[in-house]
Amino acid sequence: MASAAAWEGPTAAELKAAGAEAIPGGVRVKGWVIQSHKGPILNAASLQRFEDGLQTTHLPEMVFGESFLSLEHTQTGIKLHFNALDALKAWKEEALPPVEVPAAAKWKFRSKPSDQVILDYDYTFTTPYCGSDAVVLNSGTTQTSLDGCGTLCWEDTNDRIDLVALSAKEPILFYDEVILYEDELADNGISFLTVRVRVMPTGWFLLLRFWLRVDGVLMRLRDTRLHCSFGNGDGTKPVVLRECCWREATFASLSAKGYPSDSAAYADPNLIAQKLPIVMQKTQKLKIPN
Amino acid sequence: MGASDLDRQIEQLKRCEPLTEAEVKALCLKAMEILVEESNVQRVDAPVTICGDIHGQFYDMKELFKVGGDCPKTNYLFLGDFVDRGFYSVETFLLLLALKVRYPDRITLIRGNHESRQITQVYGFYDECLRKYGSVNVWRYCTDIFDYLSLSALIENKIFSVHGGLSPAITTLDQIRVIDRKQEVPHDGAMCDLLWSDPEDAVDGWGLSPRGAGFLFGGNVVSSFNHSNNIDYICRAHQLVMEGYKWMFNNKIVTVWSAPNYCYRCGNVAAILELDENLNKKFCVFDAAPHESRGVPSKRPAPDYFL
Repeated sequence: MASAAAWEGPTAAELKAAGAEAIPGGVRVKGWVIQSHKGPILNAASLQRFEDGLQTTHLPEMVFGESFLSLEHTQTGIKLHFNALDALKAWKEEALPPVEVPAAAKWKFRSKPSDQVILDYDYTFTTPYCGSDAVVLNSGTTQTSLDGCGTLCWEDTNDRIDLVALSAKEPILFYDEVILYEDELADNGISFLTVRVRVMPTGWFLLLRFWLRVDGVLMRLRDTRLHCSFGNGDGTKPVVLRECCWREATFASLSAKGYPSDSAAYADPNLIAQKLPIVMQKTQKLKIPN
Repeated sequence: MGASDLDRQIEQLKRCEPLTEAEVKALCLKAMEILVEESNVQRVDAPVTICGDIHGQFYDMKELFKVGGDCPKTNYLFLGDFVDRGFYSVETFLLLLALKVRYPDRITLIRGNHESRQITQVYGFYDECLRKYGSVNVWRYCTDIFDYLSLSALIENKIFSVHGGLSPAITTLDQIRVIDRKQEVPHDGAMCDLLWSDPEDAVDGWGLSPRGAGFLFGGNVVSSFNHSNNIDYICRAHQLVMEGYKWMFNNKIVTVWSAPNYCYRCGNVAAILELDENLNKKFCVFDAAPHESRGVPSKRPAPDYFL
């Protein structure tokens, strides 16, 4: 989103006070290397590669296939990565049934061409993706896994991300927003996967958000928040919490509660998140490898 | 409204300065008189330059005119989707409309699926009119004009041009000619399909979108349409393509996309298709206007304490 105020980045004094160092596309702080990259949408050749890799002919209209956010902890080898390809693998795997748009009711009564094929795939690109993780071994080889318990282990916890502490206006050492994919649902709404990160002297925080609005039908908001508290010094192990919160509501249910039923009222997920009931919530803690 | 008034308005719009509400009203009335006479399959002579979606990216449209030449020196055909998404739908549409009124035979505007009351209320044009004029009158004048825009064009009887694509309800051009187009874009039927449908590799004949509404058409459909109507190929817009244009089905249909760096973030190039008097093709590919000239901040986003 375009913003009126330009930001020149953190001051040298802020970086120094935090023991941080600016690096190309990111920052190095308290043993973490945090970097982002933003590229254009896929061209025809890379699109073909994605289609072959995912074994589908249907991808979002805008796939920012080279864009990523990466957070790596050198000492433990923890690597957290956010990218479109892995997110789309998870979409393909979840394979939700298609959502009919309001006009579909009318279309059922249209005379159909005799050779009509009904395409059947989740055009909303709804994904359960909550990030990719890996352990970077000393030898330089990387073991990767797509989400869940692979090489990195996430354990359920009763701990919660301390949103109050995160509201403190600490200096921001690095900030970025990376769009991973986006689709306009052929002008029937929006499907949007984006990740935002901010790095402060005491820790980093990120929000991976899948946002879907099928006009007149439903909205889905799948948020994954990750918070890492750096602890007291370079010697202590970082604490990383991951909170997934999925919300979903139909326009009909919102309208029944007296909320507006026109799509224009639901342009900004920040403003309406609270109106959408939670359908899944869990918090996990990253088991730090030795 | 004389030619000199109109020339002044065109100069003003070229600086991206909108007209007054009264001027818009007068311009729309004038445009209506011209558009009402046009056929649903408007005849266009070559040479002509065909342009795809613009979506309110005014400064990028200025790049387009730099590459393609000014109207009326160049004869233009715009395939719709002038408004929504970008920051300058008002100025973009009004400039094209003013050029239409000033040089009716040198620019043809056909309707895209965004030239609709319903779609513009969700995707930006309505809000922009309200923000820039403090009332929705300009949006009303413009959307009333949308109903008069032609549905397709036929270049030298050889190239069929439309915003979206084909319809199972249409096999001949004459069936398009008899549509009563002066209405809001319907949710189904031939007029809806022409503005909304897409070519699709995965089918040979007709496909229905998983949304339950919206047709997709395959190579066989295009071949038989082109054959029955004795046309060489179809030129359409409606879908973003990174390279600015894309041929499908053995050069029987081409998509032309004219909004570079779409939504100010996609990093795609745009294209226009120039046809000379013998219908020889030349695609001109162009980039987005530089940041400084378009009034969009190019600095990195201001950090925010999101939670």
